[in-house]
Amino acid sequence: MQSAIEKFLYFEARLLDERRFEDWYNLFAEDGYYWVPGAPDQTDPYNSVSIFFDDKALLKTRIMRLRHPKLHSQEPQSRTCHYVSNVEIDNNRGNGSEIFVHSVQLMTEFRLDKQTSFSGRCYHHLRTQKSSYEIISKRVNLINCDGIFETLTIPF
Amino acid sequence: MSLYDNTTLESLIKPDRVHKDYYIDPDIFELEMDRIFSRSWLIVGHESQIPKPGDFLTLTLAKQPVIMSRHRDNSVHVLFNRCTHRGAKICNKPSGNSRRFECPYHGWAFHTNGDHAGVPYPQRYSNGFITDGDFDLPRPPRMEIYRGFVFIALNENVPELSAFLGPMQRHIDNFVNLAPDGEVEACAGMFRYRFAGNWKIQLENLNDLYHPMFTHASTTGEDGTQFRRQGAEGDEAGKVKLLKENASLNMEWENQIIGGHALGHTYMERFPMDKENSGPVFSRYRNSMKDAYGDAAESNMKIHHHNSIFFPHWSIQYMTQHIRIMNPISVDCTENIIIPLKLKGAPEEMWYAALKSNNNSHSPAGMVMADDMDAWTRCQSGMQAQGNDWIVFARSIGEEKIDNNGSFTDFGTSEANARHQHKAWLSYMCGNA
Ligand code: FES
Ligand SMILES: [Fe+2]
Repeated sequence: MQSAIEKFLYFEARLLDERRFEDWYNLFAEDGYYWVPGAPDQTDPYNSVSIFFDDKALLKTRIMRLRHPKLHSQEPQSRTCHYVSNVEIDNNRGNGSEIFVHSVQLMTEFRLDKQTSFSGRCYHHLRTQKSSYEIISKRVNLINCDGIFETLTIPF
Repeated sequence: MSLYDNTTLESLIKPDRVHKDYYIDPDIFELEMDRIFSRSWLIVGHESQIPKPGDFLTLTLAKQPVIMSRHRDNSVHVLFNRCTHRGAKICNKPSGNSRRFECPYHGWAFHTNGDHAGVPYPQRYSNGFITDGDFDLPRPPRMEIYRGFVFIALNENVPELSAFLGPMQRHIDNFVNLAPDGEVEACAGMFRYRFAGNWKIQLENLNDLYHPMFTHASTTGEDGTQFRRQGAEGDEAGKVKLLKENASLNMEWENQIIGGHALGHTYMERFPMDKENSGPVFSRYRNSMKDAYGDAAESNMKIHHHNSIFFPHWSIQYMTQHIRIMNPISVDCTENIIIPLKLKGAPEEMWYAALKSNNNSHSPAGMVMADDMDAWTRCQSGMQAQGNDWIVFARSIGEEKIDNNGSFTDFGTSEANARHQHKAWLSYMCGNA
């Protein structure tokens, strides 16, 4: 299972790097959500601001925007590279069909002659599908979550 | 000596345009720190950011490192973040709780109200040097709290806060009176970001109804409707619909009332297409408002404005329910602080909706702010070009209805509010404000 999970996370990362946003969106379960907290150790999306807190409907809007010809903040487009590592399956949680995975992620982004990097711990809550997994939730705890940002457009 | 005498300053501001040096000259920026930011009331934040005794937060405001703290008697203090021994920063953390402040360098200690609490090994100082000297943490010359908002002035000789705010004080009341408890609370932290542009570009943008349909084109779907910035599920409360039907320029925008008051403050009234709220959550809200305010409930519940922009550096945004602080770092770098505010006593669902609305549109990944910041950054770099020294603000010039107290109104995509800010800038910079 470890290697199947790793494959899935690498695939997810590749979809973002290849700007296959719709395919990435399709990895999420109907009740799935994507969360990047705005405070360290945030326990609840409603007790602090979040950088991303998207249910599937909002994620869809976000991706439509990423495809919009007049998305000025993506002119030129960002190029990103998502690195996934330290993948561990949490054996204390989950059951046959639901799996909790810890990993770390580094995203480097290049845009307008500037390279920026973002890193943090990821928590995937996955549901086993016939041949793959679907994402019930993906949480990314950026180490600079409450720091000073410039604009962000590409998900981590 | 500054290169800028009043005549030179005046030559930068024409009725319908401003010179690019207004945004790009570092000498102007330094002069602004002295003549605008040191002569007006600056907002530090909201006292609910430090709810408990010992709570503190630190920030840099108009290039000044400051601490906002709550003392054990519950009083709120704003202190310069600087040890009175050899100048080390006393608090390094963005926020925290401390019984007292201790300097890491030689251990001088201070109470959370700034009073000097003692030095280690005082016997090596001459008799009375420490006890008779004034070694309290320095304070800005003026500090005031109005309805929980904490203000400082870096100069003793500023007008009283209420005179400075003038009719804008009512805007703060309108906002805070939306809360059944008559208080707002900053209980969700803040967003912070930076863009490579001058602070005044953003200040002008806050008034700008000419840009949304272009800058924010990507936030509208195929049917021309803007994404629903937020809504409590199954309820109208907290829903924000910025663009009703079409992202193109239409007369609804042009009917929007905008205006301003003395000292450069401006506002936009509530968007005509922004519908009144309704639904089960909103009914509960109405009931708590009635309980709290009786006959005044209906008028207190009314949202009058889209935003209120307090010269020189902050605004209230009513629809997304936050205050925004523009903090100038250098001539071409501005920091933004967005603090969502909860209406105390209103249904929890309304707060959740407001918080989500802030996430969706005003986080660093927010679908609105990113495009704005991109546009401002482009302005700053485009203005470096030779060949044209002027930035044009001529839209609807002369249409403003001006009264005798320095207030005016205008409509829609007029650039009157920005022109009003330019005049206030000039009057501060020439020492007349
Ligand atoms: S600098 Fe603070 S104790 Fe010396
Ligand atoms: Fe905008």
